[in-house]
Amino acid sequence: MSNDTVCEQFADDLAELALGILTGRERVATLAHVESCAHCADELEHLSRAADAVLRVAPEVEPPVGFEVRLFSRMGVDEVGARRRVSPPRWILAGAAAVVTLVVGLGIGLSMGSSTPRAKVAGQAQPTKAKPVLTASLIENGGTVGRVSLYGGSTPVLTMDLAESAAQGTVICEIVTDNGATHKIGTFRVTNGYGAWVAPLGVSPGDVRIAQLVSPNGAVIATATLD
Amino acid sequence: MGEQAAAVEFVRRYQRRVFGLAYAMTSDPGLAEEMAQESLIKVWRHAPVFDPRRGSVTSWVLTITRNLTIDALRMRRAIPTDPDDFAASALLSLEHNPEDAVQRGDVRAMVRAALSTLPPEQRRAVVLAAVYGRTALEISEEEGIPLGTAKTRIRTGLIRLRSAVEQLGDVEEGR
Repeated sequence: MSNDTVCEQFADDLAELALGILTGRERVATLAHVESCAHCADELEHLSRAADAVLRVAPEVEPPVGFEVRLFSRMGVDEVGARRRVSPPRWILAGAAAVVTLVVGLGIGLSMGSSTPRAKVAGQAQPTKAKPVLTASLIENGGTVGRVSLYGGSTPVLTMDLAESAAQGTVICEIVTDNGATHKIGTFRVTNGYGAWVAPLGVSPGDVRIAQLVSPNGAVIATATLD
Repeated sequence: MGEQAAAVEFVRRYQRRVFGLAYAMTSDPGLAEEMAQESLIKVWRHAPVFDPRRGSVTSWVLTITRNLTIDALRMRRAIPTDPDDFAASALLSLEHNPEDAVQRGDVRAMVRAALSTLPPEQRRAVVLAAVYGRTALEISEEEGIPLGTAKTRIRTGLIRLRSAVEQLGDVEEGR
């Protein structure tokens, strides 16, 4: 039976129970109350769904090379059905899944099946339904540290991947258009010099002259010139 | 579908999510792989007793991953990813126009959008609790805030997320 005053006393505990962090006597008392209160039982169910949803926000990330082989071996699964991956640069961790997820979401569709070479997932995103309008190497201190690709269509997007860059932490991706205007594409995170992302371009790919990576203090880290 | 083929399908369906969660929690690829493998094996072995009435497979898989990773972090006294960085990695995937996600019914994008709208202190409290399993007392001690404040942040943040989740109906996604 619901009693507003009593239920209010359990409000905090109900949220913590839903999150699985309530312990001891408080947990026992809250569970006992929920058993006898349909209102709080319903509230608990809804809060639990919200708590579960938090775990879902973590980006999908391609596991390291050989993950499937090792896992299938432990599971006793014949790996014949698990086609081996090839071309395995190990640097795709942070951001790669975000790239895949968002590009797919934008309707471009990467070839990211399990048989897809890892390099394609983040290193050189290979669209199956769209080809980049423009692509260029990302240059940092005279060396290539990644690649920028621009895709057209109804929602033009930019993909950028980065490997072995000196960048670390938060970076800003900008484009410079033919008229000299600078547009901020987004703020991203680089982990140990590696990262990959995609973002709506906001302008026509043909109008983009330069794509660059900029530190939060405005220093240009790397530049790609799109001819 | 034979059991072997089903196992392959299961792994390929969830491995990126499971590894992604473990990696977001640890920032350690080696530990994340270990946790992802343990989680997938545990779920696969216990699949026959899974009760769909108690929640979705995705929630089950991710909860097991979270629990195993929390245990490993504690046992090894490893330093977990800062909750702000965890949230940042999630929000990295946030689209510029969350309304598009609503139209597509993209659950994760919606929850990310909801998480992004929380005040930072509430977001941090919710992530500490929901992802890292920190109790209100632990959060109050770690954050240097009164216990009541920690409880309020947790509750208020979760209630706000609840509103977003309820707009979506069933949280289970089509993949």
